[in-house]
Amino acid sequence: MAKPKISSDWMGGCAGCHMSFLDMDERIIKLVELADLRSTPITDLKVPDESGVDVGILEGSVMNTANEEVVHRMRERCKILVALGDCAVFGGVPAMRNFFTIEETLRRGYVETESTDENGKVPDDPELCKQTRVRAVHEVVPVELHVPGCPPDPNVIFYVLSELAQGRMPELKGDKINWH
Amino acid sequence: MVNITINGTSYEVPEGYTVLKAATEKGIHIPTLCDHPELTPYGGCRLCLVEVDGFRTPQPSCTLPVSNNMVIRTDTPAIHESRKFVLSLIFSERNHFCPYCQVSGGDCELQNSAYDEGMTYWPIQPNWKNYPVDASHPYIILEHNRCILCRRCVRACGELVGNFTLGVEERGANSILMADLGVPLGESTCVSCGTCVQVCPTGALIDRWSAYRGREEESKSQKTICTACSVGCGIEVFTRNNNIVKIYGDWDSAINKGVICEKGRFLPMVEKRERVLTPIVKIDGKPKAATWQNALEAVAAKWSKGEVAALVSDRLPAETLSLVSGLVGPDKVSVIESAGDATRGLKKPFEGKLADLKKSDCVVVVGTNLAEDHEVAGFFVKRLVPNGTSVILIDPDSNPLDQVADVVLKPAKGGEAALLQVLADGKATEVAAKAAELLAKASNPVFIYGKSASELTIKAAVEAAQKFHGMVLGTRGGANSLLTAFLGMEKEAQLDKAKAVLVVLADDEPSQKLIHQLEKVPFKAVLAAYHSQLSALADVVLPVAMWAEESGTFISMDGHVQQAVASINPPEEVKSSKEAVQEIASRLGIKVNGESWKDLLKSKAVVTEIVEA
Amino acid sequence: MVAQKITIEPVTRIEGHAKVTVHLKPDGKVEHAYLHVNEFRGFEKFCEGRMVFEMPYITPRICGICPVSHHLASAKAGDDLLSCPPPRPAVMLRDLMHMGQVIQSHGMHFFELAGPDLLLGFDADPAIRNVVGLIQTAPDLTVKAVRLRKFGQEIIKTLGGRKIHPDFAVPGGVNKALTVKERDEILSLIDENIATAQVGIKIMKDWAAEHIEDINKFAVLESGYLGLVTPNNGLELSDGIIRLKDSQGQELERFEGRNYLDYIAEHVEPWSYLKFPYYKKFGFPGGVYRVGPLGRLNNADIIETPLAAEEMKYWKSLNNGKPVGNTLYYHLARMIEALFALERVRILCEDPDILSTDIINTRQYNKGEGVGVIEAPRGTLFHHYWANANGQLERVNLIVSTGHNNWAMSTAVDSVAKTYIDGPVTEGMLNRVEAAIRAHDPCLSCSTHAVGQMPIEIEVLDAEGKLVNTVKRRL
Repeated sequence: MAKPKISSDWMGGCAGCHMSFLDMDERIIKLVELADLRSTPITDLKVPDESGVDVGILEGSVMNTANEEVVHRMRERCKILVALGDCAVFGGVPAMRNFFTIEETLRRGYVETESTDENGKVPDDPELCKQTRVRAVHEVVPVELHVPGCPPDPNVIFYVLSELAQGRMPELKGDKINWH
Repeated sequence: MVNITINGTSYEVPEGYTVLKAATEKGIHIPTLCDHPELTPYGGCRLCLVEVDGFRTPQPSCTLPVSNNMVIRTDTPAIHESRKFVLSLIFSERNHFCPYCQVSGGDCELQNSAYDEGMTYWPIQPNWKNYPVDASHPYIILEHNRCILCRRCVRACGELVGNFTLGVEERGANSILMADLGVPLGESTCVSCGTCVQVCPTGALIDRWSAYRGREEESKSQKTICTACSVGCGIEVFTRNNNIVKIYGDWDSAINKGVICEKGRFLPMVEKRERVLTPIVKIDGKPKAATWQNALEAVAAKWSKGEVAALVSDRLPAETLSLVSGLVGPDKVSVIESAGDATRGLKKPFEGKLADLKKSDCVVVVGTNLAEDHEVAGFFVKRLVPNGTSVILIDPDSNPLDQVADVVLKPAKGGEAALLQVLADGKATEVAAKAAELLAKASNPVFIYGKSASELTIKAAVEAAQKFHGMVLGTRGGANSLLTAFLGMEKEAQLDKAKAVLVVLADDEPSQKLIHQLEKVPFKAVLAAYHSQLSALADVVLPVAMWAEESGTFISMDGHVQQAVASINPPEEVKSSKEAVQEIASRLGIKVNGESWKDLLKSKAVVTEIVEA
Repeated sequence: MVAQKITIEPVTRIEGHAKVTVHLKPDGKVEHAYLHVNEFRGFEKFCEGRMVFEMPYITPRICGICPVSHHLASAKAGDDLLSCPPPRPAVMLRDLMHMGQVIQSHGMHFFELAGPDLLLGFDADPAIRNVVGLIQTAPDLTVKAVRLRKFGQEIIKTLGGRKIHPDFAVPGGVNKALTVKERDEILSLIDENIATAQVGIKIMKDWAAEHIEDINKFAVLESGYLGLVTPNNGLELSDGIIRLKDSQGQELERFEGRNYLDYIAEHVEPWSYLKFPYYKKFGFPGGVYRVGPLGRLNNADIIETPLAAEEMKYWKSLNNGKPVGNTLYYHLARMIEALFALERVRILCEDPDILSTDIINTRQYNKGEGVGVIEAPRGTLFHHYWANANGQLERVNLIVSTGHNNWAMSTAVDSVAKTYIDGPVTEGMLNRVEAAIRAHDPCLSCSTHAVGQMPIEIEVLDAEGKLVNTVKRRL
């Protein structure tokens, strides 16, 4: 039987969840024996296979139009979608932006900050994405598994991925749940 | 007694119990948030819902009284679903950001409840209304985004402290915690006791000095007593790597049941004074760091038997007080700035216990400002008021109880004794008549007196108490002031003929009066924890422990013998006051006994019954 | 003739998102390449209203690779704002955690991210040109590399309770002391990891010797150089004073981090969410400077730890004492810094004060404004807070390390595209464009390491800019 395909991507987060994933250290060798790691920020591919993957992992909140593309693409192409980390599960720290308007946040960053020179203005090139309200992944697409934590413990990530790689749905309870 | 069934097992429980109380006593866990063993049940959070036969909907067990043959289930799938739903609603009401919250990761009861129910996310989105952070208070931060409106703080501020600063304004989704009639906490009638912080189940109320210093599971905790004043509150000191990270009231201590004041909880966290880290000896008028050997030599050189006086803090442990007494002779020891013992003349035991206040229906406060000197005793008085207890205040000066007392009497200074007599004799007129009326109606009046009460005033209070079948309670001064009175140390110091004075200051702050008093004494040796004007003037300074670093015996104002247990180690060269005095005695070849206070107690007639722990 | 635009998306970091557009002239040569950073979160706004002492716990969420840098820079801004300098043991403990981070970050980047290019070649088969491929072709080296990263992470966890977003620093100090057992454990692993760092240095030196042509034509840029230095102008990563040198190595400025606004400003371009810091006196772009390993080794004169000092002498010899402008030498500088950090760990752990419990100064006085500066692995990091009398933040200004290198990365991308893209576009050429970004280790170059099968979309536009054809490469 072919190894299950796992793909990951990130959006409005800090990459800490993927770093925590790397903190499984030598166990990553075990993992690539069990599963075929497709597109992830640490291997070679950039988007999940068009033909589909078994498990899709998303880190980060949905906070701009580029993120929206990523989340919809991953949802389309995977069977089990995993929201990894507090940003993906709850919105996380970046969601504090929702207390302010996008306009005031952009103005502070590109015009008002004390180090920005007198020619500051909000970037608006069409190549750039547009900012949106910060949302948890499940506010945009259905999610099969939530793995909270900021970041989740590497042992929990290893447990979740190795269970999924062996065709089982991991059960998070007790010590494995951590929102901190 | 009634018979109830919980989860299939039958139990016999007292009538009048709530389902929650019954279950908890039988070891059955029902999660709660707004409930607290020391507060009246509120039934606001709905986390304690249980299934009860005959009831259409799940019921909050914290407010539901048991009844005979009641059948209760606490662990069904439906109950677990309802708990998850309740928690989702609570989370969605405000804005909870766990990643950086100070209590996240073990100290948050809300988060722990979610973990216990296996919640990995919340299905309902947060409020997204930006609630304010009230940081106006010197110690307490109020983060409204984390408040779950459980009202534990409101109840604690009222029921435990009697202050009633906190309340909730508006209704429904607009409900919000407020101080007084809606002022910043730092500008309110808050007395900074911090009980609200201790009971808050989330990070809504936190103390800025303990923030991020260590979670409870990362800290060591030591139960001990507060030695700021003579109430003798039980406290729990949390430390990490020999640093104090927070101080809580000990819920299990019979004296205060978890309530403490600003002096015990927060002042130690904002200590700004510099520690004395080595012995100091003045050489040619200049202070120089010295070894203990050299410092003791310097003391010995100026020690002439019979001509050395000692001044002691009334917050020292009994053992140190005994040692000093043995060192210079009991007649040469005085408490710093002692005004004398006004109960000297009254020989027989006549004082009651603080716990008597609980049953009291009329309290007379005379000769003391409780809020300043014995704040927790003041809380015990204030919190009786909503239950119908009347308070009569006799104080020529302004006193925070002016706002609370039913009758406020302001005689001229020195007129308190006469006033008490008038109340007892039934010849009271005008305002005093109202007080007399209240006393006459009372079944268990308590008369509280303090430092400013003269011997006459105390005598009058004792007579009034006898007349009205009541109790008398003396607050005295520092942590061991009852003992210093028994040991005969409460007398004005006689320093005119002293060639040398030993001042065992420990961590007290010396007043100008004390410094002035010592000016004429040729040689001053000071045992101090902190640098001060006094240590700068001293000829020899010996570094000693501050309160958290020394163990010892203390007798509270109403006679409870308690042990203070050190929770941190002093810096390297610093010794406990016991050790320091012992070293001086050894160097001088004087035999001293740290347990001599026990004998004294046995032999003396005392005003308060002593209760061993 | 039609012009083409090659879009490489997603390409890079700043928490993940950037893209490169390469605009081709009709003759197929590169007209210009742009690095569009496509990410913005808004910490400088949404931290308003939070407490000063919360910031060391909020700002690490800016970055999951260098959270320690933000944690410590934020605590330092708190020290400044609340006038509570930490006691010496706390300064040392913070330094120790910081060294752990430098070791973990530099080690990971060199071996696991840049390593595949260096060890397997830019043009190697994309299927194996990644860390998994390294596991297969160089298993012993990979294990060493994993252990090097783990060593750094374990130091962070020992002090802060967890490896990412640690719980450690507060204004005035830290909340945990180091035990004897913990210190001994750290000391026991230093030599093994110094050896790994030296292997890395040798790998890069050998690679440079074999690929000297690439070294000398791959984005060799002229810029200023900025970083913290010790009083002796030695390399410094935690405290110290800021120094700025020009492209010839002359010292231009020396200032306290607190005064950065007098010297540095940020320029905005409409096509990137990342701003461009520059030296105010020379304006933009004349005043651009580089930070990070290459910037710091050019900026400092010496390194004050023994083994790294020798490597610094080698570094200075590369361009006869003048600054080294060759982008690919970032990789060498990075491993020299890792070696320095390892030696610093030993020096700190052998000082008896590292075990002290005198770790917090609680005497605070609110000045209303504070700046914290630190050298994150990627470059100089500034945290600037303004707070009201209650200690609540009213304004926040951050200049985040990678930002200083924005101009350098954009220019490197443009330069490498122009140098290497000629005629039919190959995968190796595009990989080199990514390598230009990757050399700066911009916060997560993993995403630039989309070796081989990256989605490329070529839009063919006519002379008026109308879309004529789109060519997509299938995965």
